[in-house]
Amino acid sequence: MNAKANKNQVTCIEPDYYQAITEAIRKEAVKILKDETVVGVVGYLPGRRKGTASPALVTTVEEAEKLIFSPACVNNLSVYLTKAKKGVLKQGKVGIVAKGCDMRALAGLMTESQLQREDLFIIGVVCPGVYGFGVERTGTLTEANIARKCRECTVHMPEGADVAAGTHAELADLTPEEAQEMARIEAMPQAERWAFWKEHFSRCIRCMACRQVCPFCYCEQCLCDKNRPQAVESSPRPAGNMAWHLVRAMHLAGRCGGCAECERVCPMDIPLNLLNRRMAQELKELYDFEAGLTPVDKGPLNQYKEDDDQSFIK
Amino acid sequence: MHAATKQHDFEPKIVAFVCTWCTYAGADLAGTSRMQYPPNVRVLKFPCTGRIDPVFILRAFQKGADGVLVSGCHPGDCHYMAGNFHARRRFAAFRALLDFVGVDLNRLQFSWVSAAEGGKWVDVVTELTERVRTMGPMPEFKELEHEEQWSGAINTPELKEAYDSIG
Ligand code: SF4
Ligand code: SF4
Ligand code: SF4
Repeated sequence: MNAKANKNQVTCIEPDYYQAITEAIRKEAVKILKDETVVGVVGYLPGRRKGTASPALVTTVEEAEKLIFSPACVNNLSVYLTKAKKGVLKQGKVGIVAKGCDMRALAGLMTESQLQREDLFIIGVVCPGVYGFGVERTGTLTEANIARKCRECTVHMPEGADVAAGTHAELADLTPEEAQEMARIEAMPQAERWAFWKEHFSRCIRCMACRQVCPFCYCEQCLCDKNRPQAVESSPRPAGNMAWHLVRAMHLAGRCGGCAECERVCPMDIPLNLLNRRMAQELKELYDFEAGLTPVDKGPLNQYKEDDDQSFIK
Repeated sequence: MHAATKQHDFEPKIVAFVCTWCTYAGADLAGTSRMQYPPNVRVLKFPCTGRIDPVFILRAFQKGADGVLVSGCHPGDCHYMAGNFHARRRFAAFRALLDFVGVDLNRLQFSWVSAAEGGKWVDVVTELTERVRTMGPMPEFKELEHEEQWSGAINTPELKEAYDSIG
């Protein structure tokens, strides 16, 4: 479907639908906390400002009754289980509210033995989409303010979750902006591609928000912070920035779940998810690997086949 | 007899990351057999191609290499059983990434050279050196080294005016 046809059609998700998901999440969270299936639930509470949401770990029934789901629930909560709230898993099973794209991260973390399925109670959200960044949050999700990743979402149904909150989440076809951008870059002559990325990377201030928010960047010591020997220059200069971005993309290749959180948090608007996508696309073409909703034995760069392609090697 | 050494306008710097068990021994064989190959190549020895991190390649380019060679044991011959199999996948992915950000892959060569293949080592090194020679120096990464933050062009008239007024 072309963009024009899309414009004429009113694409929006009824706020009622988010209310229904909210109810379902609350009911389930209260239940599993009451019967002590879990010690806590990682979910979203209303933010202080109207129309916002903030991630929270709730441990009581009263708090659980305040959980919400709205288009403002953008965060991928799985990062709480590898970083900020890592300790909570030691106390017992944990409930977690997960959209389809967040579940890909959970599955990847299970593949890497960072999480065990039996330690989690996954409240999957049949997700119609969330707000993009830098858009007007009108209370209703429309084609104008939906996140770029949601336009091309293939995981609206959180298959494999313990329970699913919500019923349907069909959106009319949206223009795949990110895929179009990918195609545009791929079609550029090589020197132009270099100029494109150089301009983007040069703006990076090395705040490391993208690393902090990524569920897969759980290394206790990042290669890019090491000083002796220093592998990647750590000050925000173009040389170190280029290296940092290539290393980041490389270290996430075959692992990234495509939640696009890195891109969302970047204060300098660097399109990081394009790099993630390029790597994902290559690993799909070469090794038929795609980040999915179920854990696998090993990621594509942790295994090999004797007859892997080696046409580039002499 | 040695062929007369030719003078070139440009001598490329080539960095070769090789594994100690096969390619290094292969290069050694080329040397002990008195085969000739371009002296442009600087060989760095690693235990295994599996130990050669993509970040080494980046660093080589940043520090002035015009071409990089990564070479190790043939598949199945790895001293550590599978190091080169893992490296093969990793470098396949890394090439795609470099291509995506606009690096010319003709400057980066991968090869399998066994301890018995002194001749192949000579061929691989010669071919890469001559190819890079025709391509000329690699400016991209070196330029980055000398640039400071906000190196982007001054692209609005207001900024340009403000900049010029600083005098
Ligand atoms: S990508 Fe899919 S699952 Fe993720 S927030 Fe968007 S619509 Fe929901
Ligand atoms: S690299 Fe970005 S898109 Fe991929 S898992 Fe990490 S935060 Fe999500
Ligand atoms: S979040 Fe953006 S500015 Fe910060 S380190 Fe990552 S890419 Fe750079």
